[in-house]
Amino acid sequence: MSAPGGLPRRIIKETQRLKAEPVPGIEATPDESNARYFHVIVNGPKDSPYEGGTFKLELFLPEEYPMLAPKVRFMTKIYHPNIDKLGRICLDILKEKWSPALQIRTVLLSIQALLSAPNPDDPLANDVAEQWKIDEVRAISTAREWTEKFARK
Amino acid sequence: MMALHKIADQEPGWLQVMKSLINVIPMDDPLGPAVVTLLLEECPLPTKETCVRLCRDLGLGAEAVRRAKDRVCEHRNICVLLGCLAEKMAGMSSVALLSESVLSYLMGNLTKDSRPPVILFSLVALEKFAQTSENKTLILKYLEAQQGKKKTRKIPLEILEGWRYNDDSVKRQVGFCSQWTLDNLFVLPNRQYSHEKVDMDGINVMLNSHDVSEYLKLSPNGLEARCDAASFESVRCTFQVSSGVWYYEVLIVTAGVMQIGWATKSSKFLNYEGYGIGDDEYSIAYDGCRKLIWCNAQSEPHSHDCWKPGDTLGLLLDLTKCEVIFSLNGSCLPPCTKVFKNAKSGFFAASSFMSFQQCEFNFGAKPFKFPPRDRNFESFNQFGSLTQDEKVILPRHERLQMLRQVQVQDDSCSLCFDSAAVATLQPCGHRGMCMDCAYQLEICPLCREAISGRISDIS
Repeated sequence: MSAPGGLPRRIIKETQRLKAEPVPGIEATPDESNARYFHVIVNGPKDSPYEGGTFKLELFLPEEYPMLAPKVRFMTKIYHPNIDKLGRICLDILKEKWSPALQIRTVLLSIQALLSAPNPDDPLANDVAEQWKIDEVRAISTAREWTEKFARK
Repeated sequence: MMALHKIADQEPGWLQVMKSLINVIPMDDPLGPAVVTLLLEECPLPTKETCVRLCRDLGLGAEAVRRAKDRVCEHRNICVLLGCLAEKMAGMSSVALLSESVLSYLMGNLTKDSRPPVILFSLVALEKFAQTSENKTLILKYLEAQQGKKKTRKIPLEILEGWRYNDDSVKRQVGFCSQWTLDNLFVLPNRQYSHEKVDMDGINVMLNSHDVSEYLKLSPNGLEARCDAASFESVRCTFQVSSGVWYYEVLIVTAGVMQIGWATKSSKFLNYEGYGIGDDEYSIAYDGCRKLIWCNAQSEPHSHDCWKPGDTLGLLLDLTKCEVIFSLNGSCLPPCTKVFKNAKSGFFAASSFMSFQQCEFNFGAKPFKFPPRDRNFESFNQFGSLTQDEKVILPRHERLQMLRQVQVQDDSCSLCFDSAAVATLQPCGHRGMCMDCAYQLEICPLCREAISGRISDIS
């Protein structure tokens, strides 16, 4: 079932709420021509190597949403053990731990948290995770350089 | 793909890959432009600086418009590539990419004197640049300036719109895209929307603008569709049949991958996963590019030659004999029966489109070119009916505007917001959802405990 025009009420409701009560440090704007596609900007969290950067992501709600998780991808290059070169994210709630009670806002908050706490033991970008484990200080400094280079306004 | 990944990882390699794409993708391969999209999807993301550098190296600008007339293939590929980059880099990088020279190059190509393939993909590229609002404003300003001070002069894009039903298939695509863009994206003062002036008399069945994946473009009369997205877009028609013998025809405008056929309501449109008509057990489709019949995501080769622009695909559904018969320009294939294992009724005409593909449907409002001779049949248009409102395909921005104003009840299900939250899950006792959602769940969405039963407040 859906509202007239084919867009599920759940998506309408979430979109309205995102606009009325935005999440601090995160912007999610629906695409002008596709209500299932969101342009997302996440600010790098304080005290992380991503601080000062603004990261662009795309978020797409598949046909089966909310029974299936949204698809999220980084569009800005980022040096992070759980994010690969194509911007794909390794995060359990986007896969097997998805629950329809989660929402766009909770997903984006989790991604912001992932920037604060990289997890090299569950890697997606293997070479980055390797670096992170061998020499964390250097990995963090690379992450900072990439933020400077690719994520500065 | 792995090798491509490696080469394109650093700037010089990436630039090299882009330049060779421009040089090697051939003009006459119907999948050429789609391949650019596909390969770019697999390449690592370039930086903003690298993209800007590429445009500088290509020497684009007003001057390049003249070169584009002699080197059609190279410039078509440049335009395809610019469009893909604009889409991939939407946001600040896309703004940097649309420099004055790139803008004047793309705009300069939009005249009757340019070569149609270059016009077509310049227009598609501008559409993708306009996904970033700063760029859209810039392009609109440019177009409004072309209208003159009194906003009455006809701009080149409106002249190209006149190619809407041109016999040359590339010109026809230019006409379609010009019209779609002017209705949906670059809305100019003093221009009447196409849906307000299109003649809908005698059209009783059309493509359903409420039953289509997000990025498919529909013509204002609802009989022609086109995809310019990277995804596999699908649509069903407004009319459903469960018994009898039915026939419709499709005019092939582009010769690339489309899967055209019959689908029930159970067929899903998974555009991002690349699933369309013929990719599940409830639908069957003809693909005249790869020369295959698709059903249940399995394909079997057929004996027709590849389809060409201007060909007519005939689609017969015989529900008394349980047969589907495809024909190309009147030449019939043997009957297919496989789809009837899983679906016996409730069929719609339906189709899926790869990037840059387009075709026109005839449900019987016009005479058929190759009507079946061996049996009696009906056309959708004889039996369908649509209200005046149902015949209107609103421009996207207006439709979304309407949607955003929909009110949602406060006591509704916290998962779908469609029905009242009347279900209690057992054994955990969590509430807040409707029975429809509760039955779709195996574990509680709140505590993840396995669900053994669902109780409704309404007995």
